[in-house]
Amino acid sequence: MPGENEPVQPGGVTAVSERPAESALTGWVTIVWDDPVNLMSYVTHVFTSYFGYAEAKATELMLQVHNNGKAVVSGGSREQMETDVDAMHGYGLWATLEQG
Amino acid sequence: MRDFTRSGPTILMKLTDYEATLLESLVEQFSGLLESDGEEAPEVGDSFARWQAELAEPDLLDHSDPVIRRLFPDAYSGDAEASGEFRRLTQSRQRSERLAQAEVVMSALRDSEAGSHRVQVRVIELDAWLKTLTALRLSLAVRLGIETPADAEELDALDEDDPRSYIYRVYEWIAYLTENLLGLR
Repeated sequence: MPGENEPVQPGGVTAVSERPAESALTGWVTIVWDDPVNLMSYVTHVFTSYFGYAEAKATELMLQVHNNGKAVVSGGSREQMETDVDAMHGYGLWATLEQG
Repeated sequence: MRDFTRSGPTILMKLTDYEATLLESLVEQFSGLLESDGEEAPEVGDSFARWQAELAEPDLLDHSDPVIRRLFPDAYSGDAEASGEFRRLTQSRQRSERLAQAEVVMSALRDSEAGSHRVQVRVIELDAWLKTLTALRLSLAVRLGIETPADAEELDALDEDDPRSYIYRVYEWIAYLTENLLGLR
């Protein structure tokens, strides 16, 4: 990913490569980190039952955690993300929040 | 008959007396760890009493214990102050909830009279079971030093004489219970 200090190319082709994620507009994200203990089926269950995600989306996020070491599972205000992180900890998942 | 069956709002789980007693003792140890300061957590409903207790004793848990650190991890990586503040606001309730969930499991195990009846897991209480079983596995994983998948593979290959081998079997058995309960949700 290009650094922020990269010189701007005047008159270059469009630099907007992707639509800003929801998190960019509201500020904070919840990240779930991989750990070798939690079962894949359980992590998927947490994503469906807590966030209300469809099975397919929950499975995709679980696989992202498993394969990439972490995944952004929700975005919103700092207060909302603290609530989500608190809930993830309650399920025994390793989660943090940060500015998106 | 299968070891796990669902009958309407209840999952029935067949455990041997040895298994039921083992699980009871693990849950009891877990609750003991959360209660290690010996004080009752203030009633959740009484926010003033809770606030007072937090001011008087901001941290009832022993954070030098790696199990406690795993169950109550930092919410902000690299920001100890924000993590501390988060912990101050969430930990007391989180702890009471964990104790209440452990009690759900304990009471069902007691009702089974050491496995002589099938253990009744009410589906509406399934999350209390899953959270407690997960907490037990996290605790055992810390004690076994499982930090990577390779650590688990190493333990899996241990000789049966090694005392860690037994704890690892227990850890795997709880995973088996969890998977079966999830399959019947």
